[in-house]
Amino acid sequence: MEEELDSNFKTVGNIRTEKSVIMNVEDCNVYYGDVHALKNVNMEIGKSEVLALIGPSGCGKSTFIRCLNRLNDTIDIARVTGKISLDGKDIYSDYINTSGNMDVVLLRARVGMVFQKPNPFPKSIFENVAYGPKIHGLCKDKNDLNNLVESCLVKVGLWDEVKDRLEDSGTSLSGGQQQRLCIARAIAVQPEVILMDEPCSALDPIATERIEDLISELKQNYALVVVTHSMQQASRISQRAAYFHMGNLVEVDSSNKIFNDPSHPLTTNYISGRIG
Amino acid sequence: MNNINRADLNVTKLIERSLEKRNQKERYFRIYGISSLVIAVVFLLTFFASIISTGYQAFIKTDIELEVFLDSEVIYPNGTKTEEDLFFADYDSLIFTSLKEHLPELKNRKERRQARLILSSGASYKIQNKIIKDKSLVGQTVSFILPLDDEVDMYLKGYVDTESSENSRKITDFQIALVENLIEKDLIHRNFNTTLFVSGDSREPELAGILGALVGSFMMLTITFIISFPLAVSAAIYLEEFAKKNIWTDFLEVNINNLAAVPSIIYGLLGLAIFINFFGFPRSAPIVGGLVLSLMTFPVVIIASRAALKSVPPSIRDAALGLGASKIQTTLHHVVPLALPGMLTGSIVGMARALGESAPLIMIGMVAFVVDIPTSITEPSAALPVQVFLWSDAPERGFAEKTSAAIMALLVFLLLMNSLAIWLRNKFQIKW
Ligand SMILES: Nc1ncnc2c1ncn2[C@@H]1O[C@H](COP(=O)(O)OP(=O)(O)OP(=O)(O)O)[C@@H](O)[C@H]1O
Ligand SMILES: [Mg+2]
Repeated sequence: MEEELDSNFKTVGNIRTEKSVIMNVEDCNVYYGDVHALKNVNMEIGKSEVLALIGPSGCGKSTFIRCLNRLNDTIDIARVTGKISLDGKDIYSDYINTSGNMDVVLLRARVGMVFQKPNPFPKSIFENVAYGPKIHGLCKDKNDLNNLVESCLVKVGLWDEVKDRLEDSGTSLSGGQQQRLCIARAIAVQPEVILMDEPCSALDPIATERIEDLISELKQNYALVVVTHSMQQASRISQRAAYFHMGNLVEVDSSNKIFNDPSHPLTTNYISGRIG
Repeated sequence: MNNINRADLNVTKLIERSLEKRNQKERYFRIYGISSLVIAVVFLLTFFASIISTGYQAFIKTDIELEVFLDSEVIYPNGTKTEEDLFFADYDSLIFTSLKEHLPELKNRKERRQARLILSSGASYKIQNKIIKDKSLVGQTVSFILPLDDEVDMYLKGYVDTESSENSRKITDFQIALVENLIEKDLIHRNFNTTLFVSGDSREPELAGILGALVGSFMMLTITFIISFPLAVSAAIYLEEFAKKNIWTDFLEVNINNLAAVPSIIYGLLGLAIFINFFGFPRSAPIVGGLVLSLMTFPVVIIASRAALKSVPPSIRDAALGLGASKIQTTLHHVVPLALPGMLTGSIVGMARALGESAPLIMIGMVAFVVDIPTSITEPSAALPVQVFLWSDAPERGFAEKTSAAIMALLVFLLLMNSLAIWLRNKFQIKW
């Protein structure tokens, strides 16, 4: 099962979304030096839906979502080709010359990210949430900012736990609280897409459940792309799911289809627990 | 079931056996560690003991208390009473007149000359300075505390072997007798040596002080910090956070590491060629010294700052970039504050090294004999390490203890700088 797929392999299932398209990925390839980490990925990401990315370790899930907000730019040896657009505008236009470009700062403000390991800034809890709105100038005054911080912390269910200690360092929170703080920090910028790379991998079942609830709630207003290793979690939270295998996007379809009746044998094997 | 139990037992035994070896190793390692620590401490203590034992007497000096009649006929011999008279007046003879009252036994010219030499040549300047400040003193009898000659000082500190032949020492038997006589009359006192801290260099050990060198070193370090810290930190930030890693940055890195290891005297030569010969800066001035030390400290601070930046976890950068912070915002808001303690400590360590450097300063002429305390960075000045070098080379015995005193001053300076480094580190340390 470890053998690579044919170089002109075509993703099975349905790469289109039923909702309105927010991001579109065409012929995306990523190379880390000589390593071809992501091969010819084509997929749409729709508004108000949760897209789950599944696949064995090292298959390129993180690589893929880091393409969506150009965080791969920070890796010197990484090279991204193909076209990824947000609302029809090419986000890699510094690379490829097309009309209608988008600044990387604006892109990342519109496409937020939550990381696998909680990474709050070693600053106060308040400052953690307020940082994004501050640098983007989203709040007209202090009062506005206070309200925004409060509403974000309420959304992630952290407000009651931290309202008396907003000046404490974000790093003084527990792992689960830190992860929720990071989510609050991401939604404070009011992005349109939120990318989550294994947001629950460091959390206990209770914290995990809270984050799952939060994801379902966020879905109303945001497009979410969530990497997860838990099949149960993926089927609980997602409307669409994509299975990656050694850099290939093997299959993408509605979650219902993927988890109950996958088309590709690799997906079947993975879902039934034979790999990964 | 039985099998598993026996296997378990075996594993426990195996671990126990290896445990003994491991504990043994740990004991050895602790012994190595402690013995090397002990050796280091012994060396350090020997070093301190030798410096302090030769140097502590430098903080004491011997003075003579004399009532001097400031005879206006001697001070204004022409009757003109001009300022100029005060500069050329024969204060020596005033002092001597007073001394003679206490030593009536002086017979011939030779004896009188020897008696005069008990006092430092700086004694008359002391009187002169006082009169210039307050001219109304002329005509009165004023009590002065005047410095004794360094040889007398040495004798009183017990460095002169009175049994040895008179020719082999600088203080004669007759002078010793005079000094003992004056001690009996309770005119000679031992005081705290303020001169050491308030004056510059001098040919006479009893008049020499470290203030000039301290001020010079302080000026140079300030210049070094002002120039090298911002430059090196920006260079480090650029190299670490912005520059693409390629053959050029690798080449730069190798060169910076090399520069940090270049012998300091070469920086002195460079400074001589560029700042003095090309730009025409004054010789032996703190500005040139500071520039040369900046050049020297620059690569060290770059290396320390880069290490500090490298140790900032990449997840912090990802977090900020992921929120849409620009590269420069990420760096200034998140990365630099976390790296700042390391940068500061690194640069203070670099500056501490610069403080102790004498070779490059010698190349730019800072070995010059400078009496005045510098008041600006373009005036000629001494520097602490060079002062140590100069005094240790001087033939007078009085300079030996001054050398140790200067070394102590250097060590205290270093201690202050390193404490500052620790304080700054704790102050800016961000708790995780
Ligand atoms: N910075 C990097 N430099 C070089 N190779 C990398 C780098 N990051 C990832 N890779 C390679 O790219 C491939 C995909 O990695 P990626 O991190 O996307 O996997 P993943 O699906 O997220 O795995 P996991 O589930 O373990 O997080 C792997 O083979 C990995 O070795
Ligand atoms: Mg990953």
